[in-house]
Amino acid sequence: MKFAFTEDQLLFRDTVRDFLAAECGPAQVRECAAGEGRSPARWAKLVEMGLTGLTVPEAQGGLGLSLVDGVLIVEEAGRAALPEPLVDQIAIAAPLLAAFADRTDVAEILAGIAAGTVKLAAGHPLDPFVADAGDADYLLLGREDALHLVPRGRVTVTAEVSVDPLRRIAAVDWTPGNDTLLSADPAILDRMLDLGGLAAAAQGLGLAQTMVDLAADYARTRQQFGKAIGSFQAVKHHLATVQVAIEFARAPVYKAAFTLAPRDISHARVAVIDAAAAAARTAIQVFGAMGYTYEVDLHFFMKRAWALAGVWGDRHYHLARLSRMVLSDDAALGADGTFADK
Amino acid sequence: MKLSFSAEDEAFRAEISGWMADHLTGPFARLKNRGGPGDEHAFFEERRAWERHMGKAGWIGVGWPTSAGGRGAPLSHQVIFYEEYARAGGPGRVGHIGEGLAGPTIVAFGSEDQKRRFLPGILSGDDLWCQGYSEPNAGSDLANVRTRARLVGDRWVIDGQKVWTSLAHVSDWCFVIARTEDGSSGHRGLSYLLVPMNQKGITVRPIQQMTGTSEFNEVFFDGAETAAENIVGKPGEGWKVAMGTLAFERGASTLGQQMAFRNQLDEIIAIAKANGRAKDPVMRQRLAEAWIGLQIMRANALRMLSQAGNPELPREAYVSKLYWATWHRDLGKLAMDVLGPEADVFPGEPGTYELTALQQLFLFTRSDTIYAGTNEIQRNIIAERALGMPREARA
Repeated sequence: MKFAFTEDQLLFRDTVRDFLAAECGPAQVRECAAGEGRSPARWAKLVEMGLTGLTVPEAQGGLGLSLVDGVLIVEEAGRAALPEPLVDQIAIAAPLLAAFADRTDVAEILAGIAAGTVKLAAGHPLDPFVADAGDADYLLLGREDALHLVPRGRVTVTAEVSVDPLRRIAAVDWTPGNDTLLSADPAILDRMLDLGGLAAAAQGLGLAQTMVDLAADYARTRQQFGKAIGSFQAVKHHLATVQVAIEFARAPVYKAAFTLAPRDISHARVAVIDAAAAAARTAIQVFGAMGYTYEVDLHFFMKRAWALAGVWGDRHYHLARLSRMVLSDDAALGADGTFADK
Repeated sequence: MKLSFSAEDEAFRAEISGWMADHLTGPFARLKNRGGPGDEHAFFEERRAWERHMGKAGWIGVGWPTSAGGRGAPLSHQVIFYEEYARAGGPGRVGHIGEGLAGPTIVAFGSEDQKRRFLPGILSGDDLWCQGYSEPNAGSDLANVRTRARLVGDRWVIDGQKVWTSLAHVSDWCFVIARTEDGSSGHRGLSYLLVPMNQKGITVRPIQQMTGTSEFNEVFFDGAETAAENIVGKPGEGWKVAMGTLAFERGASTLGQQMAFRNQLDEIIAIAKANGRAKDPVMRQRLAEAWIGLQIMRANALRMLSQAGNPELPREAYVSKLYWATWHRDLGKLAMDVLGPEADVFPGEPGTYELTALQQLFLFTRSDTIYAGTNEIQRNIIAERALGMPREARA
């Protein structure tokens, strides 16, 4: 038994972290929000690094990695509040499509994701809107327990405004057909929701850490009463409390990436939503009035965390799902039950 | 002890509710429930006209003493005034800083001449005020004020910068604490000056909030001037006067604030019932807890205001800011959780950044635990003044 990442996995994570620190720092996020909202140049570099193909099977030109590798990269995308839809490709679309790679059209799409020539968007019936639907070449959409793969030309997209200025959401109007059906497996939409939930949780973890890091930097330098405010217990304890919440959310997220078990994903989701909300609340408090302004970068991360808390099953949904599992008559209890992964 | 209202109180209630019903109509009807914290940009000129309208009818300064031009209303009438104002959907008051802070400070500490010159403009709704306290390096450490004022002939000449100045961009006057003694530091050597805003030496720069709108500002004083007589208290007494003003922040206006809170909680409960979240046991408990918190604030305010006139602030005054700020911040989060995924979508067209009232509530309440003394400063005050604990070590 070993609950840890390999050196290679961590090295890859560090490479991506360094890349995003250089290409997607808070100043660049702010610039993006004031401008087009997406950076084609940054997207091209992400493709060049092979990131879009991270979880695409090697047969389709991807790196063929798992979500255990992927979760670290998704966390980094969250940490940077990356505006481009990398996460949806590597944590939702490619893992879903990989099971159908024996279909020629699906194999071509997977190859396109890896090559950066094809973008997918994904929408679960639980969510009224689909992120980045307008720019997608294909959409993975659920309807009546079935999953459909729908070309962009077959849907009508009506843009809505997200609280997150960098999130592009839209209502999608479409008609399912036999030619769009990908899978009628009754478990397929739950799997999609779980993948989306894991992706949102891993991003939330990164976002929460950024908010704490920004606030800790500020607390080290901002002076009041002749001292750095971080020297006051009232301030440092706030940040320490949130860091505890983040660490206790981190373990469930990493475990969920490994097991992909619904109960682990729901647990991770609830833990991260709470940790990110606490991080946002606390970071604003530590920044004082500055934290409430548009001029400080904090709000970009807070708004992303807020938007992600509401999709792929919100706290309410995942807590209810978890309580059904924990309280069901056949729930495993006892020494060999509570911690069992099945 | 008496918690009910007398027949005379009820007659007063009929007077104010009747007046609101008759007057919050026509051009003013669309101001219902608009304005106030987080929504100050809405219908500002119209709300300014409404303020004057209220002033003409004698509804500004209801709790002020009659000698100052107010109604001298007893506590029961003040309670009723705020209840009925909120019930009618009365808009956020643009003159609240003058009525609630500048006016009472001038009444308590000002000269007869200052009362004659400044109070009528507040009572008529003509003069709007802002508060020049915080500076970039004087936030929680308010005594670290560096804005300087020098007496040159018959004028104070002011240089420095204030920040987080709510409504400075629309105000006529600002009460400013400035350092008037060379070489002084901390609480000593500060003076409380009344400064006209419309002059060459003052530049106002709005600060954009995370809501996308602005209601507070940076204010730059670059050789700004005010007449020598526009000082409240003596030179060097500014800290004492400023603290007096802060005490008024905990006064009767909190009753009006609680009515606004009540309206917000009612709206959230109505949404929870309509969208089914009121069936969820966790939400039910959070809603019930919010209701309890509101009752606590109300009871505490009545208890505190019943001791008005006691020169020592009672413990219940020290705890009120911390309590309401935290409660209200949590209410904002509760509103978003009750709304569910709908909370994450703005109502406007793509390319715009318009918020619903509850989204505004959520974002604005992120600042409640910060402005007018952060929670951390409030806890220090409670520990040090109410419990007599030693002061925190400072550099």
